[in-house]
Amino acid sequence: MLSERDLLVRVERLTVTRLKVWVAQGWIKPADAAAQSYSETDLARATLICNLEDDLGFAEEDVPVLLNLIDQIHGLRAELKVLLDVLEELPPDLRATVRLQITRTREYGKR
Amino acid sequence: MAEDLYSVLGVAKTAKAEGIAKAYRKLAKTLHPDLNPGDKAAEEKFKKITAAYDILGDEEKRGRYDRGEIDATGQETPHRRYYREYAGGEEGARYRSTAGYEDIGAFSDLFGDMFAERGGMRGGERRFSMRGQDAQYRLDVEFLDAVNGTKTRLTLPDGGTLDVTIPPGVSDGQVLRLKGKGGPGLGEGGPGDALIEIRVRPHPVFKREDDDIVVEVPITIDEAVLGAKVEVPTIGGRVSVTVPPGANTGQTLRLKGRGVKARGGAGDQLVKLSVMLPEQIDEDLKSFAEKWRSSHRYDPRRKLKEQA
Repeated sequence: MLSERDLLVRVERLTVTRLKVWVAQGWIKPADAAAQSYSETDLARATLICNLEDDLGFAEEDVPVLLNLIDQIHGLRAELKVLLDVLEELPPDLRATVRLQITRTREYGKR
Repeated sequence: MAEDLYSVLGVAKTAKAEGIAKAYRKLAKTLHPDLNPGDKAAEEKFKKITAAYDILGDEEKRGRYDRGEIDATGQETPHRRYYREYAGGEEGARYRSTAGYEDIGAFSDLFGDMFAERGGMRGGERRFSMRGQDAQYRLDVEFLDAVNGTKTRLTLPDGGTLDVTIPPGVSDGQVLRLKGKGGPGLGEGGPGDALIEIRVRPHPVFKREDDDIVVEVPITIDEAVLGAKVEVPTIGGRVSVTVPPGANTGQTLRLKGRGVKARGGAGDQLVKLSVMLPEQIDEDLKSFAEKWRSSHRYDPRRKLKEQA
């Protein structure tokens, strides 16, 4: 776990004000809210927001839109991974059927 | 990696710094690894353009590169762990959103359920957080209310009301911010603020100059010549003011502390005197003036003649 101070040191362009705003907006959620401490995930996310605002030139009001999309994509990818893991465990003949159905649906639309 | 950095960014060697930054941003927006999770090729390209921009985006490094003092591989950024490397993990579940799969098909309820078991979140819950919009209003305030402060109620377009405390000394055009009285926030974002622009209505007698109040007060000839005590309106009520003998039009008397209450003190009231003749000039005054003129000529326009 990282303290607020650790986070500020490790994310170069992060300031106390910025972090306060981001937490208030719900863009960053301290891994342990009660202790105000952060995880490596929070750190990477803070770096990403710095990136979006400072390097890619997105305006502050664009950030929640982007984060929302990014969070949705990771939500989708996580669900997709569960689905694929489940398929992986199926008996070979069932797997073959699923594969066939997927190819068909892709090419000819729903059934 | 001996590739020409300018062609990596797709700009001319003569491009201005602005053009280079623009080209980089355009490419970076499509290639940023966090905007392309799982796409290895995009990451490689992103690294390349970022390395190129590290050099070309820096006036000094660009000059050295142009002069051949450093090569294209000169600056390799240290390995950085992108958000996407965490987002898929157990910890990243706090941020992942699984809202809205209902439209995909009958089987889609499965997703929400799966997620609920793992992350402790109800399926379809919104994770999008945004602070509410600031609401803008305009409020007309009477001059004396603005100077002395007051409480008033603002009726909103939607029929609601907002109690507004006007602080003493508020000035025309000033914007009051009421924290949390704006539009509601989404998710964990707090509400926006209400921004109220104050319009101060003019007053027939009082004029405001910063924290001073200016009032024009007419006096009679005899008051001007002999001096007098006259009653003068102030923003705090009427007060008695001593006009010194020999007072003249344009002369200003300063009433200390009778102006607008401001931070750490108060302004003054400035009383601008103007000598008024009686509406009817009677025989007494006329004959006095004739007599007085013959022996006491003076020239109030001497300066005027000297200067123009």
